[in-house]
Amino acid sequence: MKETHIAEVIESNTTEMIAQCRDLHCSPPFGSFVKVKPTSTSVEGAGFLIYGLVFNVMTNSIEPNRRAVAYGKTEEELRNEQPQIFELLKTEFQAHLVGYQDQTGIKQILPSQPPRIHSFVYTCSLEEVREFTRQSDYLHTLFTISRVPPDELIIATIRNSLEAHAEDAHQYLIQVGKELSRLLREDYDRLSSILRRIAP
Amino acid sequence: MDHRSGELGIITRGSLLEGMEMKLNPNRSVEDIKAGKFVVIEGEKHLFFSMITDVRLEVTNPQILTHPPSRENTLLRQVLSGTSTYATVILRPMLALERVENSHLINPTPQPVKTIPTHFALVYEADEEDVSRIFGREALDRKYFNIGKPLDMDTPVCLNLDRFVERSNGIFGKTGTGKTFLTRLVLSGLIKNEKAVNIIFDTHNEYGWGAMKETGGNRQDFVKGLKQIFGNRVAIFTLDPDSSRRRKVQADHEVLIGYDQIAVEDVIPLQDELSLHPTAMEAAYSIWARYKNDWLDTLLERGEEDIQALADELRTHPESLAALYRKLRRFRAFKFLIPKTSEDIIQKIMEYIDKGIHIVLEFGKESSMLCYLLVANIITRRIHELYVKRTEEYLATQNPANRPKQLVITIEEAHKFLNPRASKQTIFGTIARELRKYYVSLLVVDQRPSGIDDEILSQIGTKIIALLDDEKDIQAVLTGVSNPTGLRSVLASLDSKQQALILGHAVPMPIVIRSRDYDEQFYKDMGFLTEKEREEKVAADIEALFG
Repeated sequence: MKETHIAEVIESNTTEMIAQCRDLHCSPPFGSFVKVKPTSTSVEGAGFLIYGLVFNVMTNSIEPNRRAVAYGKTEEELRNEQPQIFELLKTEFQAHLVGYQDQTGIKQILPSQPPRIHSFVYTCSLEEVREFTRQSDYLHTLFTISRVPPDELIIATIRNSLEAHAEDAHQYLIQVGKELSRLLREDYDRLSSILRRIAP
Repeated sequence: MDHRSGELGIITRGSLLEGMEMKLNPNRSVEDIKAGKFVVIEGEKHLFFSMITDVRLEVTNPQILTHPPSRENTLLRQVLSGTSTYATVILRPMLALERVENSHLINPTPQPVKTIPTHFALVYEADEEDVSRIFGREALDRKYFNIGKPLDMDTPVCLNLDRFVERSNGIFGKTGTGKTFLTRLVLSGLIKNEKAVNIIFDTHNEYGWGAMKETGGNRQDFVKGLKQIFGNRVAIFTLDPDSSRRRKVQADHEVLIGYDQIAVEDVIPLQDELSLHPTAMEAAYSIWARYKNDWLDTLLERGEEDIQALADELRTHPESLAALYRKLRRFRAFKFLIPKTSEDIIQKIMEYIDKGIHIVLEFGKESSMLCYLLVANIITRRIHELYVKRTEEYLATQNPANRPKQLVITIEEAHKFLNPRASKQTIFGTIARELRKYYVSLLVVDQRPSGIDDEILSQIGTKIIALLDDEKDIQAVLTGVSNPTGLRSVLASLDSKQQALILGHAVPMPIVIRSRDYDEQFYKDMGFLTEKEREEKVAADIEALFG
């Protein structure tokens, strides 16, 4: 079955990218894995399959200089009365680049080139998530993101990936927990707070 | 060597003096790590054979200790375990084997440890090959005798009996820890492999014939004595033939000692038991000066009515002479002491020794400490004298046929003979100090090693130590051992049954063992024949003798 994309890259740099969703309010959830397929295999340096982690979702006006205004009506009333205003809105998300896949497998390091603009973005399947989260080295880069509380991002990420490890969920939590414990060696309270909140 | 299994952890730090510290593998439970376990550290150039001496819990962050995870929070517990909370194990390298470079071959002679392994050297449980490489195998040589197995392992640990008999040895442990069983094992080894002739002073009648086994509870088991296992290679001498008969023990010989065979030196060690004053001893010497061997007979004869005259005659103080008489009067109650004997018991013992027959001396109900000290002293002193003479003959002739047979004398309650005061005076102190010069050594069995003179303890070659609680005793048995700190904790954590720490001359490195079972299999290994087998053998012998 051919996968359908959910968004398109509109801005990217070495560590992160911004993608615009195909439909309004249809962003992948906070803390979920997305992938960017190489635009064309024939283009030299078009790169590999790149994995990103959604850490920020925003919906705003298409026009940078115009903001949406409050109408005092429900969304349903608005859709009936003024459907055009929804056409002037867009949903975007920011994703942190956490790794890529080349011929030898998944690498949890930054790709040498960021995703190209207008590449399509897809959600990751459960198998892909399971494959990617087999190692937990990516976790430490999440602590470097300053725009969202990193603990929240980590909790969301682990909770989202739990479904992919449904068979050995507890073992997976221990493995991730040990990695966190290494990263947060000096901060036992923070570690225990995270662990309390990721437990299903 | 590359395929060792049973990885325990990795070395993280340590020093030659304090031992090595190992971080336990997170997948190993700290509760499986027992003090005294035998492990191998695989260094770059050496294999270090080591003993676990201490186990410790550690945390990386003290905050964890202030808010430990609750019982319900299993995830947090599991996450912390092995990362932020972990166990370290203290190892004491005892021996090193050099690994020959660029090959898997190993230089087979273990060396004393002069260096330490590198960082992150892997630590493994020792395997069977390691144990037999270090402790030898019974099959290799008759000098090896299987004494037990290392903790959690199934390979025999062997004593090197040749080295064992070279020195005086000790078996220590508090009451009920199996000292007697350990002693019986060692004696069986010496008898079976013919490494020495034994004289055993058996106060509690436990070695010669069957003895009770302490099983706990109501069940009582009996085990075989040495005479039952080794038949006519062991002779039972008894001080109390009535008791032997009642116990249905066939004694080979009754011990009778004449007064003329008791010297003043035999009485000196009894000072404590008899509460004799030093002046009384001087009085004894003054009688001896005049009457020589008849001194005791004279004293006991004339003591009753004639003590004043005797004092005048000897020009000694009548009070001290009277005191001496009053104390030594107790000798009359001993049935085995008689004024004159027709045969010399020491000659008899020497005959047996010359034939290589081992002697168990039973005390029957004459089990008072006084009697024990007296008899052990008389016999040992005179045998030692004879051995000194024989050794001198041997040195003069240098004829191997004249070489005296190595003799091992087993004494129980050894602190009575070897306490700091007595050891200077008794023959046992002399034997313990002079090592094997005269082919006599001691096997000291005691539950109170702190009572034994330090000088003697430091001369003891091999120590087999069962559980000891008292700090003083532990300190005493580790006299003369380098780096005793680690061994101290090992000693205190031994099981109260069937476990012992062996260290010293007869083993290449200290090791904790679960002692060999003293059971049917053991009797068989020692060459014991059942009723039926014996009958067949007797029939065959008769056939051979009379045709």
